[in-house]
Amino acid sequence: MLGEFEYVLITTAAGLGNEAYGAAIREQIARTTGRKCSLGALYTTIDRLETKGLLKTWMGDATPQRGGRAKRMIRVTAKGVQAAKDFYDAVTRVSRGASWVVNQTGGATE
Amino acid sequence: MSSGWSLTEVAAHLLHHEEREAVLGDLSEAHESGWRGLLDVLGLVARRQLQLWKSWRPWVSGFGLALPSSFLLMGASVAVTVAYQGLNAQKSLNQPSLFLSQALLLVAWSWSGGFVVGKLSRQTLWASVLLCFAPCLFCFARFRIPSLSRESLLLFLLPAALGALQGLRRTRIRFRVASLLAFSVTALMVFLWSNGRLWFVNWSLIWPVWYIASTARNASGEVEQC
Repeated sequence: MLGEFEYVLITTAAGLGNEAYGAAIREQIARTTGRKCSLGALYTTIDRLETKGLLKTWMGDATPQRGGRAKRMIRVTAKGVQAAKDFYDAVTRVSRGASWVVNQTGGATE
Repeated sequence: MSSGWSLTEVAAHLLHHEEREAVLGDLSEAHESGWRGLLDVLGLVARRQLQLWKSWRPWVSGFGLALPSSFLLMGASVAVTVAYQGLNAQKSLNQPSLFLSQALLLVAWSWSGGFVVGKLSRQTLWASVLLCFAPCLFCFARFRIPSLSRESLLLFLLPAALGALQGLRRTRIRFRVASLLAFSVTALMVFLWSNGRLWFVNWSLIWPVWYIASTARNASGEVEQC
């Protein structure tokens, strides 16, 4: 099963679609979680997920706002989508009945 | 360009070319400060190195081969120098063959050790080199035998460096050549052992040639270059 950060990364990359690359993913993660991830954590996790076949990466074009340097583009594979879905389902199942989970009527269960 | 950013670019050379491009581009796009970028790059480099050390290869290469072998090969280097001096002083009939055997063994041990170190630890070669040089510097600074020069300690370095370079390039060795080398080294060691010229600990220097032979056997059948 995926780790927490692996899930966050895959979900963010999937959400960014064709614009998924290091800086964009890092910015999106900081915006949605309120925590800035280090480049080291980001790139080593990307490598690990690529080794597992959950992501595919390739070098994209260089752009002026990056000082003429190329992007490492990222795409979530079908296997990656399935792994993220499995993680989400597991978290959803394990969270049923937890006091902080909002129930179907809109309130928190006691 | 700030000094922090300059240092970041220097540190980024520790990364592979493509990763360096992506990382420096990401930092530039995020408008990170030079020092923050430097920390990020160093953090990534540290993680990459830690990942490499999860494998058995750098441990065997550094602590199982480079470090202990450097002590033994320094001893063998001195033994060859002493044998060379004895060659001139004595007129014993088997003296030249003993000297030649010792000299050939020194070259074979050093080259094969360097080759295996280079082959096993491409990206952690710096650590193996440090572990080889540390004992050399230690002994070089304390060497006090008037009849021998201190440089005689380091005779093994040239063939070892040559072997390491060939190991880094992953030079393929034919199985026949590798097994001939392994059997020759073994025969020379037996010859010296029977003449009381081999310390029993030096038998540990035999495994790199046999490792090369066994890997050459696995790779036999492919296009080979020696």
